Amino acid sequence: MTRTRRATTGIIALALAGIIFVIPFVFIGLQAGKSRTEAAMLAFSLPKAWLFWDNFVAVVTARDYQLLLAFFNSSLITVLSVAALVVLSAMVGYVMQRRPSAVTGLAQIFLLVGLMMPPAVVPTIGLLQSIGLFKTMTGMILIQIAYNLSFSTMLYRAFIATIPRDLDEAARIDGAKPRQIFFRVILPLLKPVTVTNIVVQSIAIFNDFTGPLYYLPGRDNVTVQLTLYNFQSAYATQYNLLFMNILLVTIPPLIVFIFFNRQIVAGMTAGAVKG
Amino acid sequence: MSGVQLKNIRKSFGALEIIKGIDLEIAPGEFTVFVGPSGCGKSTLLRMIAGLEDVTSGALTIGGRDVTDREPSERGIAMVFQSYALYPHMTVAENIGFGLSLARRPKAEIDAKVNAAADALQLTHLLDRKPKALSGGQRQRVAIGRAIVRNPQVFLFDEPLSNLDASLRAQMRLEIADLHARLKTTMIYVTHDQVEAMTMADKIVVLNGGKIEQVGSPMALYDRPATPFVAGFIGSPRMNLYQGAFAERAGCRTYGIRPEHITLSETDGRWPGTVRHIERLGADALVYLDVEEAGPMVARSEGHAPVAIGQRLWASPIAGHEHRFEI
Ligand SMILES: Nc1ncnc2c1ncn2[C@@H]1O[C@H](COP(=O)(O)OP(=O)(O)O)[C@@H](O)[C@H]1O
Ligand SMILES: [Mg+2]
Repeated sequence: MTRTRRATTGIIALALAGIIFVIPFVFIGLQAGKSRTEAAMLAFSLPKAWLFWDNFVAVVTARDYQLLLAFFNSSLITVLSVAALVVLSAMVGYVMQRRPSAVTGLAQIFLLVGLMMPPAVVPTIGLLQSIGLFKTMTGMILIQIAYNLSFSTMLYRAFIATIPRDLDEAARIDGAKPRQIFFRVILPLLKPVTVTNIVVQSIAIFNDFTGPLYYLPGRDNVTVQLTLYNFQSAYATQYNLLFMNILLVTIPPLIVFIFFNRQIVAGMTAGAVKG
Repeated sequence: MSGVQLKNIRKSFGALEIIKGIDLEIAPGEFTVFVGPSGCGKSTLLRMIAGLEDVTSGALTIGGRDVTDREPSERGIAMVFQSYALYPHMTVAENIGFGLSLARRPKAEIDAKVNAAADALQLTHLLDRKPKALSGGQRQRVAIGRAIVRNPQVFLFDEPLSNLDASLRAQMRLEIADLHARLKTTMIYVTHDQVEAMTMADKIVVLNGGKIEQVGSPMALYDRPATPFVAGFIGSPRMNLYQGAFAERAGCRTYGIRPEHITLSETDGRWPGTVRHIERLGADALVYLDVEEAGPMVARSEGHAPVAIGQRLWASPIAGHEHRFEI
């Protein structure tokens, strides 16, 4: 009796979640297969003729293969900034957790500010211009690091707090220098949280729209999210191509997410040292 | 083999003084146990000897060398932690050999030393396992193995058995005692358990509130406790201790008599009382009395002693085993 009721509630919940999450995807997929006029009606219906491949080719070849350049740019920004984020925030998080002092207290305040205060775009652009990093990949990468450093450091610091200090001390007695304690004892134990961090940050940075829009204008600097503008304009939006573009841009992060789903949850919840 | 000398060692955390001046001389090869109630500063003192805590004032020498300001790895010590502190991502072999690999010893030498240590501790078949696949006793042995390969002048143990169950604890006690008999290295062992202290130590250091209460061999502390604190701490079941009028009549500030030094009689004796409770442990029985002039008193009797709850008995101290303290 109660068991069937529980099963029913479960099925209803699943169905609701399915509708909320799956329907938009289906809609995108359907639109991406339609002709231009048909897609313009934005109806939730099957395309009369499937033009999936034609739309795909049109999107990829648009503006001299701009989408491929965008994928390259976005991947470069993502890989470099995430790599720097992992190394920097793991080290900062370690020092902040293990050696509380006036300096780390101050750093803590800066981290909180970094989490809570919205970044001011105009002064940032002014700063980038004055040091010659505006409209450069380097500048964009540094911006992504700065924007995400707070969260990443907090994540590491919380995780490192679950690693017993005895391990540091045992390593110290074994003759490890502070650098060796970090790289040979602590860092290997950070694997679960590092996977989480890499996935979460990669998806956020890869999908970032406003960052590149403000700080990385210019035709050669295009990133994937900005390619969506190619098919959208004030007078004529090509919905079929727009949705095809959305589909192509959404797939890489989705694959990463599905692939690492389990590790992400594990990294969020687990402590470093299990029984 | 090296001795350890502590000269007026003090430790404060902020304004709070935890270790209040310790002078101690540990002879080479001696098995010394620091014992005391939880929070009395045993771990802090041991960690200062290890170099994990700075010494606020005082001097520490190991093997005649002043090591007060030396790094832990330069003191010739090895430490076994209560939590074992094994590196979770390394195999047993890597755990044991970590110090050697940090020192960049040749691989053949590391393997040889790790194998020798594993052999001595029956860990050979576990060398490729990770710590999480080991039982408590096995982890304990790996931690000891990691200490052995450092070839230290002094072994430090901080409550190494408190995470083990009772039977394993007895076995590991024996193994550590064996290890000491074999290596003859100076060992300093911290525990709050007076049974561990009594059974393992050459010399017991009783700590209380950051100060030394008394230093001596286990039987010396048992026979001649210097203070009521030591008297109450060493020996199980606890010594009966009395103050006030009863002690004054006995001619002192604090009067103590151990349960095993009390005889019971149904007809006559020094202190009349009634039996409140009996614990029969097999070989002997603990008789809990309400003594009229003193209050509760525990006496040890033989296992089948014919006493019953509510019975009226006379308790008498065995001559020469009474303790009188002027504090
Ligand atoms: N790092 C520290 N900072 C402040 N107080 C501490 C610190 N370490 C230990 N103490 C205090 O010192 C006292 C003795 O601790 P400890 O040496 O661990 O006792 P024991 O090992 O005898 O149980 C305790 O009251 C504890 O709260
Ligand atoms: Mg302790």
